Amino acid sequence: MNDADEAGRASASPLVVLDGITKRFPGVVANDDVSLELRAGEVHALIGENGAGKSTLMRVLYGMYPADAGRIVLRGQEQRIASPRDAIANGIGMVHQHFVLVDPFTVTENVILGDEDGPILDTEAAEAKVADLAASYGFTIDPGATVEDLSVGEEQRVEILKALYRGVEILILDEPTAVLTPAETQDLFENLRRLIADGKSIVFISHKLDEVLEIADRITVLRRGAVVGETTPDRTDKRQLAEMMVGRPVLFRLDKPESHLGDTVLRVDDLRGGRLKGLSLEVRAGEIVGVAGVEGNGQRELAEAIMGLGTIEGGSVSLGGSDLSGESTQEIRNAGVAFIPEDRHEQGLVLNMTLWENAVLGRHDDDDFSGVGGFLFIKRIKELASRLVERFDVRARSIDVTAGTLSGGNQQKLILARELETAPKLLVAAQPTRGLDVGAIEFVWRQILEQKAEGRGVLLISAELDEIYALSDRIVTLYEGRITGEFAPDAPADEVGRGMLGDVAAVES
Amino acid sequence: MATEGTAIPAVRRRAKPRWLEGFLVQGGALIVAFLLSLLIGAIIIMLLGESPLAVYSSIVTFAFRDADSFGQVLTIATPLIFSALAVAVCFKGGLFNIGVEGQYLVGMVTATWAALKLDFLPGPLLVIAVLIFAMLGGMAFAGIAGALKVKTGAHEVVTTIMLNGIAVSFLGWALNGPLKFTEEGVATDLRSDKFLDNALIPNIGSWFGIRSSADLSLLLPLAIVCAGLVWFLFKRMRLGYEARAVGSSPGSARAGGISIGAVQMKLFLISGALAGLVGMQQLLVDKGALVQNYEAQLGFTGIAVAFLGQNNPVGIVFAAIFWGVLSRGETALQIDTDVPREFMIVLQGIFIMTVVIVYQVTRRWAARRQLAREGDVERFDDSEAEIDESRGEQASGGGLIGGGG
Repeated sequence: MNDADEAGRASASPLVVLDGITKRFPGVVANDDVSLELRAGEVHALIGENGAGKSTLMRVLYGMYPADAGRIVLRGQEQRIASPRDAIANGIGMVHQHFVLVDPFTVTENVILGDEDGPILDTEAAEAKVADLAASYGFTIDPGATVEDLSVGEEQRVEILKALYRGVEILILDEPTAVLTPAETQDLFENLRRLIADGKSIVFISHKLDEVLEIADRITVLRRGAVVGETTPDRTDKRQLAEMMVGRPVLFRLDKPESHLGDTVLRVDDLRGGRLKGLSLEVRAGEIVGVAGVEGNGQRELAEAIMGLGTIEGGSVSLGGSDLSGESTQEIRNAGVAFIPEDRHEQGLVLNMTLWENAVLGRHDDDDFSGVGGFLFIKRIKELASRLVERFDVRARSIDVTAGTLSGGNQQKLILARELETAPKLLVAAQPTRGLDVGAIEFVWRQILEQKAEGRGVLLISAELDEIYALSDRIVTLYEGRITGEFAPDAPADEVGRGMLGDVAAVES
Repeated sequence: MATEGTAIPAVRRRAKPRWLEGFLVQGGALIVAFLLSLLIGAIIIMLLGESPLAVYSSIVTFAFRDADSFGQVLTIATPLIFSALAVAVCFKGGLFNIGVEGQYLVGMVTATWAALKLDFLPGPLLVIAVLIFAMLGGMAFAGIAGALKVKTGAHEVVTTIMLNGIAVSFLGWALNGPLKFTEEGVATDLRSDKFLDNALIPNIGSWFGIRSSADLSLLLPLAIVCAGLVWFLFKRMRLGYEARAVGSSPGSARAGGISIGAVQMKLFLISGALAGLVGMQQLLVDKGALVQNYEAQLGFTGIAVAFLGQNNPVGIVFAAIFWGVLSRGETALQIDTDVPREFMIVLQGIFIMTVVIVYQVTRRWAARRQLAREGDVERFDDSEAEIDESRGEQASGGGLIGGGG
């Protein structure tokens, strides 16, 4: 349509053409005749729900999977890419969602790993080279720093440097912002703009629509393995993209039910230990308190301290007036606290156990599910699991499959189902929608709002300001282990942002 | 996600008998591993200038030619069942108990003490007391490793290996001290006094027409009962459930209110109790006295048998019997062929390696198949990526982007 806009770029022949790519896995067509063009010097966003086939398509381009049909045309010539090694030789690099770095190695050692100049390492020369490379793209990073000391954002820069070091022209980034804070995301975008200015091309896989609209030159939307549309940011908006992705209209702001505040459910008083430096807050019945903050300021420690998973050095946690500090996780759960952990694989589910085994985790010692002799009542547990799976619409072939076979959204639904089934007094929800797609996010948000309507207290810990705003009745900001401000749910974002950066002069109350 | 869209109904129970499918896959893998091992073994036999067919048929006929022979196979298998179960119990909870060796030696010492000092107990009470003391000895010794793990975080592999050395010395000390030989005459080896008859385990060979020198005893049914109990523990009991959760995902288990330390301690104690019974075939059937014997290595062999049986109680019983066939094969080789008896040790090694490798490959294949079938491409991708990346790391010494470099 709007050809004039793009005439400049479109005149050049595309850098990469994926033509009719089909990739089948047993029982699934992951990519169904997908075609895509990447032009030189553009950021091409590839969006779609989890399972839409974005990563599969890019892994075909990166040589990780052979395509069952279709061809790859690179700089005008058909090219067979049989391995990541081939891809790199052809100037294609990919940064995976999960980084592959050697933690005890330095930045330089990681960057040159596998591409060293000869058998004897000249660390200083290599470091200088890496430093030059980083400086030329405006990456702030210390080449001599050890990777385990880096923040997630910095680790990502190392991954990108690894690709650039190998002379890559086309960079595929798989969900690069999933692990970043808003500030880190902005830094990444700054880096990406420098790369584009230098003539690199970028494929940006994401399902975060605001970010896509901000960084992309063109957007291709995949749904169920097929391209459902291609557009540019100026011709579309978030709502339209979401609808294309999901195939139906999606709500971004849910109506908050009216608040009926009850007694204080949770009182955290001067909590200390690890990153926590005297944190105090309160949650009342029927209230959602959103803890906003850049990750790594004590979010995880706060959730773990409440759940009895961390060590508390000082202060107290009490539930409905009775002191919980020092109690075991089991006692805390029995007292009526439910927990959605920020890492559902590490703290939520046992991936190689079945859905029904996971459905009872944390309640397996209830009289309903195991007897005095330590015997499990398997029939009752399976009934519970069937009920939960049905009520929360967990999509699975049966309750006998392992939790690891579920998609992220369905895993999260299973956790929610399990945790909310007990009618808790307090729900601690840490990053409850991390890594989920739009449809699943909406579901999780509805469930959390439902808790509030039921008169339960909710402590929502989230790095997504959107989420905090969408759900909270009260917002507090967490910075360096302390609460630095308290805000109404309609407070301007820049004020909350200042609280997140520890500017205590904000609206401290 | 297997998303809202795809045509997967929200949970259809019993779509297909999964256990049957799993059984077929596992059985298939076992057959493949078995044939592969025989093939590799055959190549070695041919290199030794013998006929594989002759060697294999000699091994098989020697084990199965009559009831007596098979009785001896079962006798060899008996302590290995206990030993492998002890390893498996810990393994399910993510613990690697290398200390079964030491735990069974200590169990033999405490059992010997009971057999000699509690000889006033009438009839079967004595042998029951002896077995209980064997288990208590094993538990106490395993409990040390457990306590060190739970209280200090000391890795159980290190502590159990060290404790094995202590157990050997403990046994030597006991035979030179409290359990010293006091009978008339001179003992040719370092040993305790003979036990009373009612401290011994009854021979059951006559039930099956097996001569008593095959030493088939009531310990075999006891071992099979223990295998059943272990199966029950992990399938039907809270502790087994908690142990599997701890073994697979400690973080999720802890967040679910499970006390990891308590579970690990209990597993060590159960493992130790089973380990305590390992030496009873030798003590209460073969010898009727404690004899210093460093060469049995039943604890270490138990690790191999547990691997071969894939830590599954039923698998372990069959793996132990299979091990018995191979062990008997050593004698067969000496009688019938010119292949050195050490070949059987080589063959045992080949079997373990092949089984471990084939099972691992099968597991990956099955996991991929299952994931793909759930229609969950994204998750599938992740697991692929991990595999690819780890391959890449092996290949290039730390794979960057995918595994090229």
